[in-house]
Order: sequence, then C-alpha cells, then structure tokens
Amino acid sequence: MGTSRNVERRTILKVAGASAATLGLGATTACGGDSGSGDGTVTLRYAWWGGEPRTIAIKKTIALFEKKYPKIKIKPEFTDYEAFWEKFQTQASGGNPPDVFQNAVGFLRKYDKRGVLMDLKAQADAGNLSLENFRNGVLANGQVDGKQIGIPVGANTMALVIDLKAFKKAGVEAKFGWTWDEYFDALQTIQDKLKIAGDTGYFSIMYLYDLYLRQNGKAFFTDSDLGFTEDDLTQWWEDGYKRVRSGLVADPKKVEQVKPKSALSAGLAASEFTWDNFSIRYEGEGESDYGLAPIPTTDGKDTGQYLGSLMLSAFSGTKHPKEVAQFIDFMVHDPEVGKIMGYDRGILATTEQYEAFTPTDDNNKGVKAYEEEVAAAGVLGKITPHPSGTDVIEAAFLRLGGEVAQGKTKPADAAKALFSEAKAAFAG
Amino acid sequence: MTSATSPALRTANERRRVGSIAWHVGALVVLAVVLYPVIWVVGASFKPSKDIIASLDLLPTEPVWANFSGLADGISGIPITSFFTNSLMYAVLAVVGVVLSSSLTAYAFAKIRFAGRNLLFTLMIGTLLLPYHVLLIPQYVLFRNLELTDTLVPLVAGKFLATEAFFVFLMVQFMRGLPKELDEAAKLDGCGHLRTYWSIVLPLSRPAIITSAIFTFINAWNDFMGPLIYLNTPEKYTVSLGLMMFRDQEGISNYGSMIAMSLVALIPVIAFFMAFQRYLIDGMATSGLKG
Amino acid sequence: MTLVKEAPPRPAKKRPAAPAAGRGGRRRENLAGYLFMSPWIAGFLLLTAGPMIASLYYAFTSYNLFTPPQWVGLDNFTTMFQDPRWQKSVEVTLKYVVVATPLKLLLALGVALLLAQKRRGQGLYRAAFYMPSLIGASVSVGFVWRALFSDDAIVDRTQKIFGLDVGGWIGNPDYVIYALVALSIWQFGAPMVIFLAGLKQVPQELYEAAEVDGAGPLRRFWNITLPMISPVLFFNVLLESIHAFQVFGSAYVVSDTRCGPADATLVYTCYLYQKGFKEAQMGFASAMAWTLVIAVALVTAVLFWSQKKWVHYEEAAK
Repeated sequence: MGTSRNVERRTILKVAGASAATLGLGATTACGGDSGSGDGTVTLRYAWWGGEPRTIAIKKTIALFEKKYPKIKIKPEFTDYEAFWEKFQTQASGGNPPDVFQNAVGFLRKYDKRGVLMDLKAQADAGNLSLENFRNGVLANGQVDGKQIGIPVGANTMALVIDLKAFKKAGVEAKFGWTWDEYFDALQTIQDKLKIAGDTGYFSIMYLYDLYLRQNGKAFFTDSDLGFTEDDLTQWWEDGYKRVRSGLVADPKKVEQVKPKSALSAGLAASEFTWDNFSIRYEGEGESDYGLAPIPTTDGKDTGQYLGSLMLSAFSGTKHPKEVAQFIDFMVHDPEVGKIMGYDRGILATTEQYEAFTPTDDNNKGVKAYEEEVAAAGVLGKITPHPSGTDVIEAAFLRLGGEVAQGKTKPADAAKALFSEAKAAFAG
Repeated sequence: MTSATSPALRTANERRRVGSIAWHVGALVVLAVVLYPVIWVVGASFKPSKDIIASLDLLPTEPVWANFSGLADGISGIPITSFFTNSLMYAVLAVVGVVLSSSLTAYAFAKIRFAGRNLLFTLMIGTLLLPYHVLLIPQYVLFRNLELTDTLVPLVAGKFLATEAFFVFLMVQFMRGLPKELDEAAKLDGCGHLRTYWSIVLPLSRPAIITSAIFTFINAWNDFMGPLIYLNTPEKYTVSLGLMMFRDQEGISNYGSMIAMSLVALIPVIAFFMAFQRYLIDGMATSGLKG
Repeated sequence: MTLVKEAPPRPAKKRPAAPAAGRGGRRRENLAGYLFMSPWIAGFLLLTAGPMIASLYYAFTSYNLFTPPQWVGLDNFTTMFQDPRWQKSVEVTLKYVVVATPLKLLLALGVALLLAQKRRGQGLYRAAFYMPSLIGASVSVGFVWRALFSDDAIVDRTQKIFGLDVGGWIGNPDYVIYALVALSIWQFGAPMVIFLAGLKQVPQELYEAAEVDGAGPLRRFWNITLPMISPVLFFNVLLESIHAFQVFGSAYVVSDTRCGPADATLVYTCYLYQKGFKEAQMGFASAMAWTLVIAVALVTAVLFWSQKKWVHYEEAAK
C-alpha cells in the first residue's frame, strides 16, 4: 500500500512537473547561457533567421556537432528575417542575446557600437577557432576596427536575375561587361517585343546603387556617413522615375500588389537585381526559368562588385567563450557541415567546405558558375564600410524609392528625406 | 438593406410575408459579402502553393491536398501540434485569469462599499484609453529584468491581474444589475463577501463571464505581438508565430501550408465561439449598456 | 453610456442605506474591498502605472534601449511635429478613423436591426456574421485582402460595372486606405452584438403603443429605437473610435508588413512600431505614444461632452 501511494505521488509530481514545464512557468530556460550543469555540460543558444530548408539543414549540422562535442548542447532559436532582428534587438538590449547567432555585414558596426559582439581574435589565438583557409579574403567581412567580430559562413554577391525565356524570346543577351546603356537597351527590346517591363524597380535597391557608385569611384557609405551627394541621388531617382513612366520599369502599383511574390516571378518584368544566393526564390515562385546575369557597368569592365557574407557572431557576454569558439570553428570548417549546408548562405567560405560540396541542382550550379565568372573577371573589389544604421537606411532607401516610383514624392525631396533620415540613423 | 426589410406590420398578413422574404434576401446578401473572403481562404488552401499569392480565382481549378498533408510534417522539425498546444495553453490560462481576476475586482466595485472606490473606478476606466504600445516597452523591460521572458508569464500576468479593464467594466455593470435582495439575503444568512461572491454573484454573472471568456479566448488565440516579443524558443511558439515560419524573404516561402494552417487554426476559435455564443447577447445586454 | 454616468456607482443619496454596522463594519468593508481589489491594484501598479510613468519619462529622453536614457527635454516632440512621416501617419489615421468608424457602425446597426426580428435561421446568421471578427488580423486575411483588392479581382470588376475604373486598390497609394476601411467594416461582429443587446432591451410596449398611434416603421425607428439605444450607440462610437485610433494588425497584414505603398497605410501605431522596435528610437516612440494617449483622451472627452445632446438615459430602462 505504502509503495503504491508512493508511486501515485511520484506520478502526480511528474505530471505536475511536466505541466509546469509545458507551461514554461517555472523556467529561466531563456538564459541557456548560464546553464553549466553539474557534469560539465554546457548549453549554448544559437539563433538564425531563414526558411525551413535552412533550419532543417542547420539542425542536422547541430546534431553532428553535439556528437563530436558531447559536453556541449545547442539550443536552436529561429524565425524569419524581420522577426529575428526585432527579437535580437530586444534581447541584446536586455543583456540576453543568444550565445552564437547568424549575422550580416549591415549589422556588424551597429552591434559592435553597442558592445554586443565578441572579438573572436583572442579565441583564435587560444587555438579554439581557426581563421585559416577562408576563400577570396572574405574573412575581412567580419572585421571592424581590427576586431574579428564575425566569421563568414558564405560569400555572396549582387547579381541580375533574369527570366531566361523572356530574354531568349526577345533575342537579347546579357554579356559580361555590358554597360548600363546596353542593359536599358535590352530592356527596351524586351518591352517592345514582349509587352512586359524590363526591370522590377532597380533604383530602390540600396546595394545596387552602392555598386553604381563604386563603379564611379564612390561608395554608398564612408566610415560614418553617406558617400554621395543629394544631387547624385536625385539624378539616380529621376532616371528611375523616367523609366517607370516609359514602362521600362514595371508599374509600381502592380509590383506592390503581387507582394510577397517578386514581380519577376509574377511575370511583370524580365529581370531583377538581388543577391545571388536568393535566386532560388524565383524558381519556387514563378513559372519561367531563371538565371543569373552580370551587373551592368559604367566603363565596360568594372561591375563594382564585392563579396558580402553571412557570418556567425558571438555575444561578448557569453559565459562560455571557449565553447562558442569551438562551435563556430566546427560550423565554418567541418566538411560535413559544408556538404549539408550547400550554398544556402552563399558560396561556402572556407576551402574545406567549398571542396566538400559539389552542387547538383541547377540553382546551386548557377550560383557557383556566376561567382567563378565574377572572380575570373577580376572585378571583385574590397568591401566598403557599413556603418551603424545601415539596416535603417536600407529600409528608408527602399521606401523612398517606392514613393518616387509611385510619383508620390519628387526625386529631389526623396533624396533630401533620405539624407535627413540617414543622419538620425547614424546617430542612433 | 435596412430599408428593404422595413419591419412588417403585424396587422397585414400579406405584408408579413413580403417582409419575411425581404428579410431573408437581405440577410443572404450580407451573408454572401461576409463569407466571400472566407470562402476565398478555404479555396486558396486547396491551390498549389505557387498559385496562392495574387491569385484572383475564388476556387482552385484543381484542388490539391498537399498544403494540408504538408502540415503533418511539421515546420522546421517542430510538429504542428506543438504550436496548437502552446496557443491553447495561452488562451485557456488567459481565460481563467481574466475570469477570476476581473470578477473579483468587479465584485468589489459593484458590491462592496469601500473608501476610495470611486477614484479607483475612474482610474480603471481611464486605462481603457491607453494604447497598448505605450506600455509595451516598459513592460518588456520589467519582465526581462525578472528573467521571465520566453515563458507564458508575461503574456498572462496581466490577465491574472485584471488589467483588462473592458472585462472588469462589463462585469461591474452586470453585477450591479443583479437584484440587491439576493446579496442582502446572503448577508442576513451570515455569508461573508467571499461566500456571496463565490456562491451567489459568480454563478448569476454567467453571461457576462462567458462573454468576457469568448473575447479573451479569441484575443489570446490571435495575439501576435505578445508572443513575438516574449517567446524565443521555437518549441514554445504559438500558432500565430508558427505561421510566420513558413515565410522566407530570401528563399522559398510555403504559402500553401501557411494558409492551410491558418485555416486549421480557426477551428478552435470557431468551436469555442459556437459553444458559448448564445450567452454573448445576454452578457452584453445585461451589462449596463442600458442607461 | 454608463461609463461616467455611473462612474461613482451609486450616487450619494444611497449613503444612508449603508450597512448599519458602524465603524467596525466599515473597516471590515474597506478591508474586504481592498482584498478583492488586490489583483487589480497589483496589476495597475506593476503593469500599468509603473510602465506609464516609465514611458512618460522616456518620452523626454533619447533612448536606444542599450545606453541609459539621456534627457533631451522636448526634443522628441519638436522633431515629431516636424517629421513628415509623423504628419503622414496622423493624416492616414484620421482618415481611417473618420471613414471606417461610421461605416462600420452603420452596417452593424443595420444588420442588428435585421437580426433583431424573430426569424428562422436568425442564430445561424448571427454566428456567420461574427465569423470575420474571429479571424482577426491573421496572415490569411492579409492574403485574401490583397487578392480581393487587386487588378481584375472581384472588387475591381464590380466597380467597373459602375463605371469606376481605378484598378486595384492594394498597389495604389490613393485607394489602399479604403481596402483597410473595408477590412474594418467586414469585421463588424462586435458592435453588432452590442447593438443586438441594446435592441433586445427596448420595451415592446413602446412599439405597440406607437403602432396604435399609427406611426410607420421609419417614425418608430427614429422616435423609439434610436433614442432607446442611444446609450449603446454611444458606447459603440466610443469603443470603435478608440480601437480605430489604435489600429495596427490589419494595416500590417494588408500592406504585407510595410504599411505602404508610399506610406499610404502608415497608421499611427505602425509608425510607432517602426520607430520603437525597428529603429530602437524608444524615446521618440514613447513621445508618439503619449501624444496618442492625449489625442484619444481628447476625443473621448468630446464624445462624453456631446452625449448630453443626443444620448437618452431613460429612467424607465434602468
């Protein structure tokens, strides 16, 4: 009897415990960083943004890591891009960001300025993390003021995604080194022959304007300011608006109403500028075939391109810097991880991983061919700085460009607004 | 619509029949307009994922089941049931919290004469006007400092502390409408306030309580901002957050399963509403919306 | 409505009827009162009053969440009043409030009048009409709304029949706000239920008497129904305008999260949210929030002041 009562009580306790656990009530699990338990097991929080394929792949790589380092447990946190940075900001401000997280060039200085990012140099010196074997100098993407605050997992670059069928039908070809004039002429031919717009709205993309400026000896940003004048931007947007009016660029009203689908995959236009590793999106959304084409140039040679990166960063206040470093090291160097991740976050950044993965599908093959072509053309330049506030300015650029396209704001006024919003963003 | 259904006069039989037909026609027109978008969503959930965005057709040309069957695989390795369990937990706790705390508070306002009551009542009504956003940031800072983020506590704490002024107000008005004789009789019988509250006022206030429960359930079930800000672990995500995981700004979004899941997510709310909606009007009616 | 009318719940004249138990009884009542109130008091201090004071303080600071707030006086307010996007958000919100609230209430009242009649299938209709309000501002509502109000979709085709060819509303900065308004009207369930509750309480004898006097349906509506439900109407006007000022979710999903195009659906709280949670300008966002509080309080005050003129509190109905 006594035993049975014991059993009963234990069951009740268990049930109570379980329900408390599911309620998430009695828990400070949020602070995974603190959880060094008795047997020396360490738990690290690892956060990223991305879609389902990325998450499933990353979870596989985590399993590999945990097998190799049984004393380190990884607690994954993932959402979509927008939610990720909102969440990150609130968590980081509370001193409670994840121990390791996916990061992008545009956020490095912002969170470095706020003291959130760990300088991984010390861990590299201690032998917990190797900074060797990074391809094409992308390691520099994670450096700010001599500190290594991000370790690239991949390399990507801007590209022109084109509707292959439309280009073929119109009989136009995208050639390496083509100039903006040639590009717009091609769009004109497409418009004449196929009655669809050529482009979806190039002039609202900050990272494309950056390339255009780089082709002309400037850049979107300097260390702490904008690298162009209000007149430059007014000109850029005036040209853009002219092309909307003439139908060369798709009607912004139509582009808006097919969102969240891209206007390219919706068949409203024949080309769109974006990062090469995002190109998989179009196959998933649209009915046509899509391919990567070169960025137009000013002088017939220089595309102004550079390699950007997604990277892994660590929280400066993590309780387990050594384990964090080991984790990052594994994630960027282990060949198996490279095989699993593929080019989802750009071309793999280290030679070990790059060599381990051979793309088999058309999309990945296309991305690889494109980056090899860009590298071979010798147009890859050094990345220019992305000051704190880059993310806010990118959003403002997109919005103001949209207002210009809709004819709601004059290019000069929009340029003025961008400069004033940028000022606030740099100060923030 | 209203003019088409001019109330039939009781005197003439014929006019009554005309009125009846006009009434049904009017009601059906409203019904068609109201349900059209709902039917679109149902139709869309049977379209191939590629065809959903910017699709103009009401119904799919060839219905596919893939969106629903895809749900069985979960999202990013998390079973769909996990999101539903979490949402249910949140909604149920919210209902319990609101019902308990609001009815206690309402009882005090309606049935106990204590010093400072009027001032507190005015303060409570004042909180109705506050935009949620004013409080969001400082509340976040508070719960973060208490290390309670990534739990349900920040989401339901306010419900257990009667911060939902609308429901308190609803119940106060309702309890005031209850016959005074009842609690006076209870007092004579030697019942304290707790007994009066528990065995007399609470059971009698059922319509107002159920009305509050319906609204609370719907609000909690549909809440997006709260879970977005407070929950970090994907296994703890509610349905509204889970839906966002089908989205990928840089890759392929699975709109098909997204819309299928949002449809499935409607079922509990509809069930809850259907089960209790007959109390809704009474709850509102007797809640002092009278003059 | 009863909000303030009855705010001091029972007027002073009832005082003498207070428990005869004397001072000890009163003390006991006070204790009981505060015990029952304790959850609310704790909630009010911790989750309402405290955060309010904090956000009021933030409103006068520059605060990016990371570094401690820096006192800047009225800077946030002066920047805000000069900020074209803030002005735009005020314009959008006012347009939304002024257009959506009356239309929604009109529909809710019309349908409530319809449903107040005893007919077969009445309960089913009522449940069906409430359905849109159950869906809330979910992502699927976003999808369906964007589809319905696109080029050549049903709304476009219908308006073309009437010779109005403006194309889809979603991509058009001049029209997209009306798609939002339509969404608000579509979710008319809550005010409908409140109207129904009010209609249910209008004494039937009044109608019967009026009928004997030979009053037609319009006269009866105007002379009996409207005055009798005016408290309910007032309550709905109040509640719906407060909600309309604070609209967020529907703008967020209908515009595919950007409150565009060209800021055309940048409702006040959407801008507040962008400033606070995207740009981490918490000082600015708090100043915005407090400006909204004051605006809503003013509107409420005006409504309460106006009710003397048109809201009838019939003693008989009490």
